[in-house]
Amino acid sequence: MANLTSAQANQLSDDFFFLSMAIADFRYENWERLTLDENKELSEMQGAILRCGEDILAFSTSLVMDEAAASLAKISSITLEIKGTIKTLTSIQKGLNAAAAILILGAAIVKRDPMAIGNSIKDLFITWKGPLA
Amino acid sequence: MHPLLRQRFLSVLLLFLSFGLFSCVNLKAVSEFSASSTVGIKNFEQLDYTFLDHCIDRCEDDAINKFEFKRELECACDLYTKADSVTQIMYRTIGGYFEGLGNLAQNELTNYSTDAVVNAMTVTELGPLKIDENLAKAYSALSNTLLRATTDFYRKRKISTYIGEANEPMQILLSSFQGIIRTNLKGELRFKKERLHAYYMDMKMNNTLQTDYERGRAVSDYYQALKEIQSKEKRMDLFAEGIGEIAKGHQALYDNRDKLSVKNLALTMLAYSAQVEMLISEFNQLNP
Repeated sequence: MANLTSAQANQLSDDFFFLSMAIADFRYENWERLTLDENKELSEMQGAILRCGEDILAFSTSLVMDEAAASLAKISSITLEIKGTIKTLTSIQKGLNAAAAILILGAAIVKRDPMAIGNSIKDLFITWKGPLA
Repeated sequence: MHPLLRQRFLSVLLLFLSFGLFSCVNLKAVSEFSASSTVGIKNFEQLDYTFLDHCIDRCEDDAINKFEFKRELECACDLYTKADSVTQIMYRTIGGYFEGLGNLAQNELTNYSTDAVVNAMTVTELGPLKIDENLAKAYSALSNTLLRATTDFYRKRKISTYIGEANEPMQILLSSFQGIIRTNLKGELRFKKERLHAYYMDMKMNNTLQTDYERGRAVSDYYQALKEIQSKEKRMDLFAEGIGEIAKGHQALYDNRDKLSVKNLALTMLAYSAQVEMLISEFNQLNP
């Protein structure tokens, strides 16, 4: 387990910023297809993901992670993928699942729980790479 | 007096006088650079935005989104208060050093308060923006330098030693301070902008606004709020740029610390002072 460097924490905060933007884009893109409850849920998760990014920036070098460089690379790569393709998702459920998985990851990072961080990175990959399109 | 002795005496006297004159000229350059640096650093107080301010803004935004009224705004901002405590310690330590250096260069008694340094030395947990080993050593080295600077009788003659000892810790502190303002504090504003965008986008998507006037007003309000945040970002950039120039200027003092009586140093320092002052002026123009 290692402390993140200032540059690593900034990169992580950037990722959460872009993930929150991606969820917002997905929500606006599918506005008419979302039920009121789904829309509300996505809106709340969008705000909570944004808060994770802000907290990461304020926590900065006191954040911890196992195999930090590899874990951060995974988060950055999945961020790039989500950012690039979320607008083309046809499954609303997958969008909701992805938002929830991102939020769980963010909460684990802010809580500085290395085991939960590792597990939630895996879950996010499974959710995003899963069969739903 | 024997003519030869008188000639030697005059030569020595001339040497002392010219040394004194050059020292005086160039210590003035040190003093002016310190004064510009002090003003530049004090602009930190004019940034008008702290981590805590950001947290409270966020908390208010949440209340607005939820249309929530409480008797008192309840915000969990401990983390952000701790982040501010780190920037405050850096600000006071760096500012105190340049004030002290300016006073020493003018051969005035420095009234530098060691409070900031003492706090830095005694606080074990410095909050979320953790002070690493290098930074801790920097505080320690600077503290010793300044403590001796305030008590040493031959302050003026020792000024090159002080600059020499302070440069490394000062470079570390200035670089960390610059990074926190430019990346962390300014970075928080990007999230604020995104929250603002979401607020107005939701309003649009929900068809909340009925009349053209309401819609026009909302767009105008959005861009006005965006402009205010961008102005804050610009001020942070200018402040951070100023910190960078101060670091370069101090490095130049350090590189020339054994040649404080060389005329060229005055010109070099003048250039750094002018650069810092130009940034201060730009900063002030942006102040609300």
